[in-house]
Amino acid sequence: MRIELDRVSKAYGQGDAQFWALREASLRIASGDFLSIVGPSGSGKSTLLHILGCLDRPTEGSVSIDAEPTNRLSDRQLSRIRRDQIGFVFQQYFLNPSMTALQNVLLPLSLAGVEKGKEKASKALDAVGLSRKLRSTPKEMSGGEQQRVAIARALANDPDLLLADEPTGSLDSKAGRAVLDMLVSLNEERDLGIVVVTHDKTVAKTADTTLHVLDGRIA
Amino acid sequence: MSWIILANAKKRKARVAMTVAGIAIGVATLFALLALSAGIERSLDREISAMGANILLLPEGCPYELTLALMQGTDAFEHIPVDALPAIESVANVEVAVPVTVGKAKVNGQLTSVYGTTSQILEVRPWSVDRFEGAVVGSDVAEKLGLSEGDTLAIRLYNERQVPITQILEPTYGRDDTFVFVSLEVAQDVLGLPDQLSAVLVRTASVSDTVSTQSTLGRMSDIQAVPPSDVFERLMELFASVRQTLILITGIAIVAGVLTTMNTMTMAVYERRQEIGILRALGSTKRNVFRLFVTESLLLSVVGGAVGVVAGFVATLFLPRSSGFGLQATPVFSITFVAICLVVAVLVGVASSLYPAMAAARTEPIKTLREL
Repeated sequence: MRIELDRVSKAYGQGDAQFWALREASLRIASGDFLSIVGPSGSGKSTLLHILGCLDRPTEGSVSIDAEPTNRLSDRQLSRIRRDQIGFVFQQYFLNPSMTALQNVLLPLSLAGVEKGKEKASKALDAVGLSRKLRSTPKEMSGGEQQRVAIARALANDPDLLLADEPTGSLDSKAGRAVLDMLVSLNEERDLGIVVVTHDKTVAKTADTTLHVLDGRIA
Repeated sequence: MSWIILANAKKRKARVAMTVAGIAIGVATLFALLALSAGIERSLDREISAMGANILLLPEGCPYELTLALMQGTDAFEHIPVDALPAIESVANVEVAVPVTVGKAKVNGQLTSVYGTTSQILEVRPWSVDRFEGAVVGSDVAEKLGLSEGDTLAIRLYNERQVPITQILEPTYGRDDTFVFVSLEVAQDVLGLPDQLSAVLVRTASVSDTVSTQSTLGRMSDIQAVPPSDVFERLMELFASVRQTLILITGIAIVAGVLTTMNTMTMAVYERRQEIGILRALGSTKRNVFRLFVTESLLLSVVGGAVGVVAGFVATLFLPRSSGFGLQATPVFSITFVAICLVVAVLVGVASSLYPAMAAARTEPIKTLREL
């Protein structure tokens, strides 16, 4: 899988209230790459990540996935790409609080209509060291455990690219280190492309490449 | 998809319970209305058939009120002189003409319908009674007053008569169960209606000539000849207008239920925007989200419909049975009513979920996640 951004800009609001969160950003990411995006708060890091992950559409410029411009793709096609090829990990985990860890991981598998989904979800949780927490709900788990559930969920459908927005931002240093080690091993062992938005210099240094974003522009 | 709905429903038990209850109340009302209406219709049909006549001779007046009074066993204060009977019997094609005088009197101290007639009643009623003598007592009256064959009844209104019970009727599950049948002479004496008849039940020899016989009888002075089927149809028309009003009220209640459920679901979409955002981020299409909300609403509606049918069934068992023209009406239950109620519940589910489901499907994942 290869995603290319060509002079992508993103504006929010209209008229006098219009605000450019991202300006003429160009970059290329493929399976196996490990990229970190750093920059101050409000610099446009997350916007860049969301556009990379087809969660948001650019105002200007173009995004291509495997040479196919995404502006030609329907909601259904973009949803399928998010479901099958891209995994998301968020700073606030965004787990469904009414579901168990197993059900949270089962969710993307169910959406994809995967057979033996429970078995696969269980293996995914085992892979992140949570085989004893299958029946636990998010409120019964620590922040680090919740983030590991979110990673298991992101990897459930065996994506080509993992997009992580401040994955260690809500964790203590020990839990953050464990999550980071997990990302590194996933990149090395599975040839998984990883893009991490972070404030954490340790995380940024772990990546092969680091992009600096300032006032919506890639420095 | 169903497990996702169930997992989410567990978190919102109170809201789910209220939505189900709202639908169940509307459906229960509809089910009870259908069951009771059918019960009243069947009861009326059975009572009119049980008269055993294909022409009803009534005094001048409203034929429907007079027929109802006859069925209920009350005096309508309009009468046919008993002198008219020979002329009635002499009309061609009249096979049996059964004179009847009815009214309420105190039987062993309890107000009861007294039905005065002759032994010819045995030719039109489907009873297993060999002879009509003394008093023949309906099963409900016998049970209520603790009567058995051989007892003597004290019947009193204007005059008092002592009459021995010769037979207690097997239950007919109609108004006959609530009557005390005595001779015409005893009834007229007790009710203070000497030589007065409430009605004459006529059975014709040839059914094909009934219309001409009815016409001949109808030309007699102070008498109107009415086919019971016409009375039934007219009474059903009257009842149908009442039923339509009730259905309209139930319909309004159901529409209110739809709007309430729609409001609940719309609020739920707002409350669940995090869940929707996550679903969209994980690759759920707009269509998936739309289907999820519609399916959830349908499931709630079907559960509400099922609960409503059971509640409606139980409610009808406790509602008064004497509704509808003063006749005993046992509710009629049918699989068709269950199907109608479930279809209505499903329609409620679909109607109330379309707008919220569209709103949910339109939710942009990034906007939702940005808000959180």
